[in-house]
Amino acid sequence: MEYEKAYVLGTDDDRPAKRRRIEAKGLHTSWPHRRQAYQTAWKQQRDAIETRLADVDAATVEDVSTFLDEAVVNTRSERIPTGIILQGADGGSTALNQIRKHVTSMQRARRRMVVLSANAGSNLKALLKALIIRATLQQSGIDEDEEDDVQSTRSKGPRLLNYDLQILCDHVCDRKLEQIVIAFEDTEAFDLDLLSELIELLGYWKDRIPFVCLFNIATDVDALQRLSRSAMKCLDGKLFDVAPSGEAVEQVLETIITSKSSLWLGAGLISMVLERQSDYIQSIGTLVDSVQYAYMSAYYANALSVFMASPHTRELSTTHFEAARSLPSFRTWVLRILGERGPEDIKDLLHNDKGILDFVVGGIEAGQGVLNKMIVALKVIRKLQEALPNTTKSALSTLYVQAMSGKLLGTPALRSQLLLVKKVPSDIAVALLESALSIEGFESAARASDSVQQELKTLLSKQKDSTQPLRSEDDIKNATLRTTVVAQKVELSKQKSALSEQDKAYTALLGRISNMFQDYFADTLINPKDLLFNEIFIYDHKSPYREVFTPRPRHAIERALASPHDYLDCDCCAPGHDGEEATLASTQPPSAVLYQLYLESGNLINASDLWQAFQAVMGDDKDEAETMALFQRGLAELRSLGMMKPTRKRADHVAKVMWRGL
Amino acid sequence: MAKRSRDGDGKDEESTPPETPSGRKSILRGTPNKLNGIATVDATPKSLRKVLFSTPAKHGEDDEDDDNVTPTTTRNDRSARRKSQRTLQHVDEASDGENAIVQDGRLAQQILGEDAVSEDEDEDDDDEDGITPSEPQSGPDTPSKSGKLRGRPKGRRRERTPSPPPDLPPHELYFFQNRTGANKTSTNTLPSHVLLSHEDYFAKIGSYKDPHASDIDRLKRLHKRAFEQWMFELEEGFNLCLYGYGSKRLLVNEFAEELSAEAQDKRKIVVVNGYTPGLAMKDILNTLARVVIKSKLKLPTQVPALLDEILRSLTTDANAMSFTLVVHSLDHQNLRKPAVQAMLARLAGHPAISLIATCDSPLFPLLWDTATTRQYRFLYHDTTTFEPYRVELDVVEEVNTLLGRSRRRVGGKDGVAFVLKSLPENARNLFRILVAEQLALADAAPAGLSSHAAFGGGQDDDDDEEVLGASDDDLAAAGQHTPSRRGRHKRAPVKSAKKVAAPVVRPNAAQGMEGVEYRTLYHKAVEEFVCSSELNFRTLLKEFVDHQIIESRKDVAGTERVAVTGVGREELEGLLEELV
Repeated sequence: MEYEKAYVLGTDDDRPAKRRRIEAKGLHTSWPHRRQAYQTAWKQQRDAIETRLADVDAATVEDVSTFLDEAVVNTRSERIPTGIILQGADGGSTALNQIRKHVTSMQRARRRMVVLSANAGSNLKALLKALIIRATLQQSGIDEDEEDDVQSTRSKGPRLLNYDLQILCDHVCDRKLEQIVIAFEDTEAFDLDLLSELIELLGYWKDRIPFVCLFNIATDVDALQRLSRSAMKCLDGKLFDVAPSGEAVEQVLETIITSKSSLWLGAGLISMVLERQSDYIQSIGTLVDSVQYAYMSAYYANALSVFMASPHTRELSTTHFEAARSLPSFRTWVLRILGERGPEDIKDLLHNDKGILDFVVGGIEAGQGVLNKMIVALKVIRKLQEALPNTTKSALSTLYVQAMSGKLLGTPALRSQLLLVKKVPSDIAVALLESALSIEGFESAARASDSVQQELKTLLSKQKDSTQPLRSEDDIKNATLRTTVVAQKVELSKQKSALSEQDKAYTALLGRISNMFQDYFADTLINPKDLLFNEIFIYDHKSPYREVFTPRPRHAIERALASPHDYLDCDCCAPGHDGEEATLASTQPPSAVLYQLYLESGNLINASDLWQAFQAVMGDDKDEAETMALFQRGLAELRSLGMMKPTRKRADHVAKVMWRGL
Repeated sequence: MAKRSRDGDGKDEESTPPETPSGRKSILRGTPNKLNGIATVDATPKSLRKVLFSTPAKHGEDDEDDDNVTPTTTRNDRSARRKSQRTLQHVDEASDGENAIVQDGRLAQQILGEDAVSEDEDEDDDDEDGITPSEPQSGPDTPSKSGKLRGRPKGRRRERTPSPPPDLPPHELYFFQNRTGANKTSTNTLPSHVLLSHEDYFAKIGSYKDPHASDIDRLKRLHKRAFEQWMFELEEGFNLCLYGYGSKRLLVNEFAEELSAEAQDKRKIVVVNGYTPGLAMKDILNTLARVVIKSKLKLPTQVPALLDEILRSLTTDANAMSFTLVVHSLDHQNLRKPAVQAMLARLAGHPAISLIATCDSPLFPLLWDTATTRQYRFLYHDTTTFEPYRVELDVVEEVNTLLGRSRRRVGGKDGVAFVLKSLPENARNLFRILVAEQLALADAAPAGLSSHAAFGGGQDDDDDEEVLGASDDDLAAAGQHTPSRRGRHKRAPVKSAKKVAAPVVRPNAAQGMEGVEYRTLYHKAVEEFVCSSELNFRTLLKEFVDHQIIESRKDVAGTERVAVTGVGREELEGLLEELV
């Protein structure tokens, strides 16, 4: 089998169904439950993300669809109607797929959509071939008998070459197609000369085949500027703008955060995901994958995640309860309670499985409630930023990361924001309170704001005669009339006296509002890591994420060869106790020895000397032929790994290609 | 003298306080010892010193010693402890009168001062120290100067050691190894008989017992523990990419088998051996089509169309089974083309197909652009196995290509014998005639060769020939025989003729042997009833040409000559013996 090119494994059914899996033990017993929990949790999350993403693109998709619909009706135009879709670096295939769905669903079999990507062909023939095949093949499976008709009509005339657009033309006539949409998936990747040629050709056929083009552009419309003049003349373009990638990321993240899911992603993980998203241009799909994998890891690797599904006692082995009892957050809590109330309350938790189960489930719910409140607080902050003059609205993701790491409360940005609240004139204050109160979850948290709002209203009602809003004492803007700098102090006092009674009352009120917000934030923006059982419902491990999505294969291979002990963990090659890297030793795997000799050499290596050195390290007393076999194997491996290559510079030399750690 | 100094070290330990960093000192001393230790191996250090200090130069020696202490050392010496040490030594010197002690004292002082004294000075002292005893007649007026002049080269030699300073950061190491003039390698060549043939290689590797077998096994068991996790990941719609050093073929196959045993729906598993020579996308798709497409309709012949058809039937066919695709060595040369990768990515991107791929090369992620990566939807796992690439690599061939000797396989004696075995009697007879004629020609060659040598001698010097020869080998490795290169082959005889006396007989040296004239060979063959017509004769010859055993070319005079290539003369003789 190993020398066959490709084969199907296990076609014979007589293979004994070997069940390797022995009965799971310990914490692993809960895996089926956890898996179920994962599936419900992730499904909910995924659905939310999908609806959100559909909304993000919806407007553009709608526009493009109407554009296409119009093109069906209006066929008189000489030029090919062309939609240019700007959708940022993110592959944007979601939008294209939705458009395709629209095209094929409306009047199926009367319109066709062909997606061409740059790798479909490197010359005109290949592109045309791909285009024709895809356009004609699409529905062939659905109506078999029609297929025969096509064949028969085609066989009447002379046999056509497979890149002849006449085939497509015949096909269009036979099926009475109304529109052929050609979508260029990655316009920038096309050779523009080739693209120009293709477009010109399509232009010639426009009178017989109802073409419409869609260009998917990742960068800028300028990319199309370099099309040939004659090609441009064939096009009748219209521009569509899809939501930029960054915004989509923000939207998805907001969905993830606010979806009331039971699992929360920690600050470290989220910031890492976001960093990757912005550093390397990744599509939204990658972000979703990252989140999905985080969910998977949380439920797969953390046995305690089973508690999030509120299981029954008998479903769980006792190890789970033991594990829950040994959580650090539980321990600190126990210590605190012991200090406060004594051991009575705790005894039950430590000895009774049912007791701890209920306690954990309750604890998780409470913790999640706290986190939900925190999210509301984040929204309030954003509303404040929106309402306050001269403040930029910070992204929810940044706020979330700060809040999850427990650092948001102390940030200067938040403090200055609260100070700003004290200075706002009354009209803004009203808007501010209103928008804050409009947030779901906030009104219950800050009952005081209601009364404040009432007072503010009464204050304002007295003020009816003046069109000017009430001013705050702390607002320096009120001193704008000052012209002399010398008498600053004097003028300031004048200013204060100039404030009306209402203004004074208003200032006091603003102070209360500001304090109210301050208290509210202090209450809600706690450090999530202090929550009881946060280990269960907050997932914040970078480790599997980093390795699984951003591998470092070169590093892994170099490490394996340079210090094989790291992987093999054998006694013979253990490095010295002083922590230095293991030196060359004959006990190491032969290829590793060879690699380390390779590392020591310059950019040209004399094979003979390398062999001598290798032999010396492996031990001269050994069978030379055997050592040679190992030497040859090592050389072959290094070559296949791309570390050395043949050179013509000198006889029996090889060239070094890779330096370690670069 | 080096021995001497080491001995001095030993004495130090007795005469100086215990905090002497003697360990470090001995390293410093050790280097010159290695360099020129051979000369003084037999002389015992003690006697040597006795002899040295009993020579009349003793006086001068003393003077120099004083000189040495006063200008440099004292100036730089700010340590009170050392000062007191020195006075003590002077007292010692005066009371003892033994010069050996002075010498030792000086050494001890150097050792003590080593950490404080600047490196430069330290070296100076070192050098002088090394020089003085062997320089009995050095004048007392300019002792330090001459000592320095003589001592310098030694210090420099020490710098020039091939091993770089330890713990260089990677980029520094790169520049160190690529600095101009660093690239001095010897002209040694690997004797051809040392390299193993296929047969020997497999015999040796087969009998080799890896001392790490148990550790490798443990590593594998470690990876196996992740099987369940991998299955979960596959079921969640991700694809797997396994990387790391070592062959992952067995591990993945085991995983695939477990997968098929575990799966409820008896899902099909298609395995692709990416390393198989000549594997094309078409092979993969054909195998897939057999699994996926149930109808008896004729399949499209074009690769993209076939791919489209497969994907279409997976999408539309309601009862189409989902299956797992296992690709060993996804990053193998066979599959590296962007178009192929794009197609594989399209397959992997389909929800009904799960892909398990292994990648061997260190830079495989560079194969894919963003769109391809996105379609692959890989989760990467480091599965370093340390297993040898038993099937994936043709070791002997790889090494031969690497060293530019790939002729060995196609033309080597073993290869020829192998081909002959599969040919009819007539062909074997023809070959026998050819070999015999060629050997006879070679025996009669000397006269002819000299003319060749004269013809080739003016063309190139030896070095150039060497390079050309290597390039020829490279070409042979690639299996290309462009006509333009043939011209070079022609020049090769010169080289081999000139290098007859060379210790290394290159395997392809024989290619230079004079070929047998085509006509002559034909007539001989007819005489011996090997063939009856020229057409017949040509057919027989073609078989050999196809196997690249013989080569036909026109010589200077334009007569066509046929020669056995790639086999050395001794080997030819051996062949003839076997054939007769």
